[in-house]
Amino acid sequence: MTDAALLSVSRVTKRYGPRNGGLTAVDDMSFAVERGEFVSVIGPSGCGKSTLFHIIGGLTQATEGRVSVEGEAITGPHPAIGMVFQEESCFPWRNVIDNVAFPLELAGQGRASRHATAQGFIDLVGLRGFEQRHPSELSGGMRQRVCIARTLAARPRLLLMDEPFASLDEQTRMLLGDKVLQIQQQLHQTTLLITHSITEAVQLSDRVIVMSYRPGRLKRTLAINLPRPRTADILVSPEFGTYVAELWNDLRQEATRGLAEAEG
Amino acid sequence: MSATRWQQAAPALGVLLIVALAALLQFAIRADWVDGYTVPLPSEVLASLPRLFVEEHVLARFAMTAGETFAAATMALVAGLAFGIVLYRWPRLRAAFEPWVAVLAAAPLVLAYPLFLVLFGRGPLTIVVIGFASALAPVILKTVEGFAAIRQVLLQVGRSMRLSPAQEFSLILVPAALPHIFTGLRLALVFALINVVGVEFLINLGGLGQLIGELSERYDLPGTWAAIGLVVLVSVLFFVVLDAGERRLGRRR
Amino acid sequence: MSQTLLPRLVATILLLVAWQAMALSGLLFRDVVPPLQAIASGVGGVLGDSGFYANLAITGFELAVALVLGGAGGLIAGLALGGSRFLSQALERWLNYLGPTPKIILFPVLIMMFGVGAGSKMAMGAVSCFFPIAISVAAGVRGVDPKLLQVGRSLRAGRLQMLTKIYLPAMLAPLVNGARLGFGVALIGVLLAETKLSNQGVGFLIMQAYQRFDMPRMYGLLLVTVAFAAAVNIATDRLAIRLRGSRVRANK
Repeated sequence: MTDAALLSVSRVTKRYGPRNGGLTAVDDMSFAVERGEFVSVIGPSGCGKSTLFHIIGGLTQATEGRVSVEGEAITGPHPAIGMVFQEESCFPWRNVIDNVAFPLELAGQGRASRHATAQGFIDLVGLRGFEQRHPSELSGGMRQRVCIARTLAARPRLLLMDEPFASLDEQTRMLLGDKVLQIQQQLHQTTLLITHSITEAVQLSDRVIVMSYRPGRLKRTLAINLPRPRTADILVSPEFGTYVAELWNDLRQEATRGLAEAEG
Repeated sequence: MSATRWQQAAPALGVLLIVALAALLQFAIRADWVDGYTVPLPSEVLASLPRLFVEEHVLARFAMTAGETFAAATMALVAGLAFGIVLYRWPRLRAAFEPWVAVLAAAPLVLAYPLFLVLFGRGPLTIVVIGFASALAPVILKTVEGFAAIRQVLLQVGRSMRLSPAQEFSLILVPAALPHIFTGLRLALVFALINVVGVEFLINLGGLGQLIGELSERYDLPGTWAAIGLVVLVSVLFFVVLDAGERRLGRRR
Repeated sequence: MSQTLLPRLVATILLLVAWQAMALSGLLFRDVVPPLQAIASGVGGVLGDSGFYANLAITGFELAVALVLGGAGGLIAGLALGGSRFLSQALERWLNYLGPTPKIILFPVLIMMFGVGAGSKMAMGAVSCFFPIAISVAAGVRGVDPKLLQVGRSLRAGRLQMLTKIYLPAMLAPLVNGARLGFGVALIGVLLAETKLSNQGVGFLIMQAYQRFDMPRMYGLLLVTVAFAAAVNIATDRLAIRLRGSRVRANK
C-alpha cells in the first residue's frame, strides 16, 4: 500500500435522518489526494462541503463509503490529519505561542523545546513579534494564521482546511492566499482546501474538484497547470482568467439552482 | 480639560460628601433638631470603635463570620461545579432538573431559617448550611451557563486533536468556562456572606451579626451603629477585592 | 416543548417520591421531614385559617408601603445617578457595594427610629428594595437609545416631558426588572423583621409554628409564602409583556 494515495475518498455518502431534514448532503463522492498535492473542493453554499470536511476529519461518520489515510480507514479523528476550521478557533485564554504549541504540549514536549518548535511556525505564518499577545488583541486574519500554525505544529501529513478565510475581507484573503502558497512551497504540505471562492481555488491548487448543489456530487475535476512557485502576480495572467471562467461556467448552474431553491 | 479633572475627582468627592453628611448630622443633633436618643452622635460612634475591638473581640468575631462564610462558599462552589458538570454532560438531566435549580435559586431560603434550626440545631452548622444552601443554586446555574456557552468549534479542535476526556476537561472546558466559574465563585461568596451575617443576627449566635443584636439589646446605640458600619465596611472591602480579581481575570480575554 | 416536559415531569415525581420515602422511613431528620400528606394538610390548614388572612393582610400592607417608599426613593436616586455622570462616578460605586450587604443588620437601628410595630418592618422593606431599584434604574437611564433622546430634544421636549414621554417608556424592561428584584428583597426584609421581633404578620406566624414545633404548619406557611411571591412575579411579567405588546402594536 506504499504507493497508495495519501488520502482516498471512495463512494462516500452522507444522508441525514428524517429528523434532521432527510437530506442527502454528500452523494457517492470519490477522489484521491496524492502526496505533496494541493487540492481544492469547490461548490456553492449548502452543497455539503462542510459535511465532507467533517467526514474526512473523522468528526462525522459517513452513511456509506470509506475514507482512508495511507490505506488506513478513518473511524474517528486521525493523527495524520490536521484540521483548520471555518470558524475562528484560537483558545482565547492562551497567548499566541501557547496556542501554537498546544499540540506539542499534548505530545508531552517540554516547555523550551515546544516553544522553539512553535516559534518556527509562528515565523512561517508571519506573526513574529506577536508571541505573547492574546487572540483578543489580534485581527481576524492574524487569529486564523495562529490556527493554521497550531495545526501545522502537529506536523500533519494532510492539512485539511474548511473555508479558513471565509470570514475575512477581500484584501486579507488575498494576502493570506500568498501566505498559504509560501507555506506550501516551504513545507511541501499536502493540503485539501474546502472553499467557495473560485480565485482562491485556482490560485492555490494543483487540482480543483467541483461539487454540485444538493445532493453534493462530484461534478468534475479540473487540473490547474499553472507554474509553481506561484505569486500574487498570477492573478492577472490570461491562463488564470481562463481557468476561472471555466470553473465559473460549471458553478453558475449549481449556484443558480441553489439560489432558486433557497428563494422558492 | 477641567471637565475630565472633575470626573477624576468624583470618587474622592463621594467620600467627602459622606463625611460632610456625618458632620451635618453631628451639628443637627447638637442643635437638637434630631433626637439624640434615636440617632447617636457620629463622634460617639467613632469613639466607640476602639471599645468594640478591645471589649467585644471584634477580630475574633470577624474570624468566625469569615470562616463560616468561606466554609459555606467553598462547599457551594465544589458542589455547584460538580452538579453543573453533571447537568452539562447529560442534557436530559439538565432539561429535567434545571427548572428546579432555578426555583431553588429564586426561593427566599433564608426565610426557612427556623426550619434549618430544627434540622441542624442552634449552632454554627445551621449558619453554614443556610449559607451553603443559598449559594448552591446560583453556582450551579452559572456553571451550566458557562459550559453551555463554550463555542462548539473549540470542542471540535479538541476532538480533531484526539484529546482524552480528562484533557478535554482540563485544557478546554475549564479554561473556557473560567470567567463564568469565577462569577459563580463571586456569587457563592456574596450569597454566603449575606446569609451568614443575617442568620447570625437573627438567631443571635456567633460572629459579627450577633454583636449587632447584642449591642442593640444593651441600648448601646453608638456601639450598634459602629458595629453596623464595620460589617458594611468588611463586606464592601470584600466585594472590592472580588471585583478586582474578576477584572484581572477578564482582561486577558 | 413536549421533549422537555417529560423529563421535567419525571424529575418532579422523583423528587416527591424521594421526599416521601425519606419521611416514611424516618431514617433522616425524623419528625422534621413530614410526609407529603401532612404537608398538604398543613397548606390546607393555613389556607383555611381566617387568622392567616388577617396576618397576610398586615404583612401585605407593610410590604406595599415599603415598596412605595423604597421604590420612589430608588427611582429618584436612580434617575439622578443615571442622568449625571458626575453623581454616578461619585456615588454609584457605593450603591453597588452597599447593594449586596445584609440589610437585616440595620433592623435594631430601624426599631429605635420607627418603633417595634409595623413602622420598623416597613422601613426594613423600604431600605431593602431601595438598592436594587436604584441600581437598575440608573443602568436603565444610561441604556436608553441616544437616538430617542435626539428625537425628544429635536422636538423641544421639556425636562418633565423628556422624563415621562421618553425615558420612562424606553426604560420599561429595567424598570420591571428592578421592581421584581425590589419586591423579592422587600418581602424577605419584611418577613425576616417579623420573625425577629413582632406580634403579627406572616413572619410572626412562621416563628410561632417553629416555637410550637408544628412542622406541617411551618411548611404550609413557607410554601404559601413562596407561592404568593411566585404569583406576584408571574403577574409582573405578564403585565410587562402586555405593556410591551401594546407598544409594538402601536408602532405598527
